[in-house]
Amino acid sequence: MALTTAPDPTRRDTGSVRPDATRRGTGRIRHGEGLAGYVFLSPWLIGLMGVTALPMLLSLYLSFTNYDILTPFSEVEWVGLANYERMFTSDPSWWHSVRVTLSFALIAVPLKLAAALGVALLLNRAWRGVGLFRGLFYLPSLLGGSVALAIVWVNMFNREGAFNSFLAVFGIQGRPWVNDPDWALETLMVLAIWQFGAPMVIFLAGLKQVPTELYEAASVDGAGRFRQFVNVTLPMLSPVIFFNLVLETINGFQGFTAAFVLSNGTGGPVDSTLMYTLNLYIAGFTDLEMGYASAMAWVFLVAIAVITAVFFGTGRFWVHYSDGEDR
Amino acid sequence: MHPATHPTASAPDGRTYRTPLLRRRLLRGLLAAVVALPLVGAAAACGDDAASDGKTKISIFWWGGEARAQLTEQALDLYTQKNPDVTFEKTWQANQGYFDKLATLTAGGNPPDLFQIDDNFLAEYAARNTTLDLKPYQDAGDLDTTKFPPSLLQYGVVDGKLAGLAAGENTQGLVYNKTLLDKNGLPEPTTGMSWEEHIAWAEQVSKKTGVPGTQDPSADYKAFWVWLRQQGKDLYTGSELGFTAEDVTRWFELWKGARDRGATPTPDVIHEGNATDITKQLVVTGKSATSWVWVNQMPELKKNTADELGVIAYPGDPSGQWARASMYWSVFRGSKNADAAVDVINFLANDPEAVKLLGTDRGLPSNLDLRRVVSDDTTDEAMKQSIAVETELAETFGESPQVPIKGHSKVRAELTKAGENAQYGRATPAEAAAQFVAACKAAIAS
Repeated sequence: MALTTAPDPTRRDTGSVRPDATRRGTGRIRHGEGLAGYVFLSPWLIGLMGVTALPMLLSLYLSFTNYDILTPFSEVEWVGLANYERMFTSDPSWWHSVRVTLSFALIAVPLKLAAALGVALLLNRAWRGVGLFRGLFYLPSLLGGSVALAIVWVNMFNREGAFNSFLAVFGIQGRPWVNDPDWALETLMVLAIWQFGAPMVIFLAGLKQVPTELYEAASVDGAGRFRQFVNVTLPMLSPVIFFNLVLETINGFQGFTAAFVLSNGTGGPVDSTLMYTLNLYIAGFTDLEMGYASAMAWVFLVAIAVITAVFFGTGRFWVHYSDGEDR
Repeated sequence: MHPATHPTASAPDGRTYRTPLLRRRLLRGLLAAVVALPLVGAAAACGDDAASDGKTKISIFWWGGEARAQLTEQALDLYTQKNPDVTFEKTWQANQGYFDKLATLTAGGNPPDLFQIDDNFLAEYAARNTTLDLKPYQDAGDLDTTKFPPSLLQYGVVDGKLAGLAAGENTQGLVYNKTLLDKNGLPEPTTGMSWEEHIAWAEQVSKKTGVPGTQDPSADYKAFWVWLRQQGKDLYTGSELGFTAEDVTRWFELWKGARDRGATPTPDVIHEGNATDITKQLVVTGKSATSWVWVNQMPELKKNTADELGVIAYPGDPSGQWARASMYWSVFRGSKNADAAVDVINFLANDPEAVKLLGTDRGLPSNLDLRRVVSDDTTDEAMKQSIAVETELAETFGESPQVPIKGHSKVRAELTKAGENAQYGRATPAEAAAQFVAACKAAIAS
């Protein structure tokens, strides 16, 4: 769902298409083909209505009620803003989950993007076997939010896990990473960062787009590797960086599966992995407070919308579109 | 939000047929279709139920593993054999996600006629009028409970209604590694040791064997509960908490002492033991000499270790323990096949063949006469052991507490959090206890 909310900046309309022509064109189409269009659209439209739009509206309504999932709709009681009030004023675990999620996103997302960009730069060269490495680096993110991967992670970062055995080779005494409240969230961050394949592929595509003449020109002007990176690569790549940043931030906020599996659905040890979505899930399905959970979901939606809007707002200062027409 | 309040397709505006209107009409039609679709589905579902050719189809839903599924399906097939008019729609799944699905089915207006439930959720469901009161059936003799231990039956009563019938009996059990103790010439723990004696024993085990003597159960509600009952308190009294922050502080301090003396593993191992499933309990993985479990889990534990295991009651006065329903069978209140579903419960509890078939998979059979038969028949050593212990303990069982109230699952989660806060040293026992009690009060008030 989140995917559809973020427009792809790399495909931004240049604005040079004549607007009047567009309007005239669609006007002509509407007569003959409008009906057919809607008919062809209808499976998607029905899906959108039935699976997305109506449930969302319903959840908005429920967020003002004390709906507990077992009580029939007809007996649901309207409680006004009580759920929202409770969230902000008297639910320490809500605030805690906000803090956990923010620190997760603030640390994991930049590091993931940095890793993706770094590896993309390495793999952008034409050396032998590069295709294999591209595939290997992409593999972890194909596994995505899979439960199996999270289980592997738990076993790797146990006290007796592979990671500690590895450390032991160097005489380092490991920790029970996943069972240590000081480290459990960090372990999840490492998992998220490790899955940098998807943004990496997008970075690679972006790097291919940078015209080599620019590098040639820069090197003629005496720019070294680093200068070239800062003054050519980064600006030319900024729309892609922006795109990845928005997507990965939204993904980061929505992190659920790994935290759920690692903590057996509790957010433990001692709430250290109580991500926002996990807290929401617990409220709805364990505590049977679906009305409250709905309210949490809407606050979450608004928060993500605001953060995305902020990105778009600041984007104008650092995102550079090569066509140069709108900047 | 009721579908009827939505605008439905209105009659076409006969005057003009200009395209924008056509489009609007089309959109309206689509909207109407979207709104109406669920209704059609609902109507179809009703149609299924109404099919009255003398046959009844009962939907039944339970959690458990492969083995339980097989046994249950066999028992249900047996019922169909004896009552050819009744067939079953069987659904089962692993424990994980079971209650999510049950709640979702109920919310969707499509709950099973008959479902398995435990004491975490029985009151939640009963308080929301989701379960059928079985009392009238019991009074009329359609549900035979005469052979049930009274306290086990009582443990299914919520607000004066029989919300669920115990599918099996169970009680708290302290499992210890007998092989480890024998090898080191250490005494086995016995039922009736005080908590202090247990911790002293565990300390001795840690010192001698290098394996921590006991798994710290301070974050474990079942141990806390038994301990509370031994102090003359309870987890709940009516709709209130049955304990104070002082009680919790004493409980946390008891275990802080145990940890300081090295009687328990380190906090991360304790956490691992609490969070893990039964197959990786610390007594099985060798990270602790004891585990705090349910007696009927003995056979499952035994399967995962080569060592010999023993099981006794939790420390302190054994009358703190009670005949607990390991799980219940409940009938959905709106079920159209309620009478038939109750008859199935009766069959599963009291039919000699069915009970023999089911064995102790859901705990000891609730019917005492049949329990004796089953325990004589079993060849599984671990099962024999757990039946023997439970039978022995049954003589000292105290009265059953009330079924945990609405909000219990939250209280459990809060105890885990507070207990671990104290274990990891992030809070003193008193601080953790105060937090816990405050969080519980908020949880059960809402």
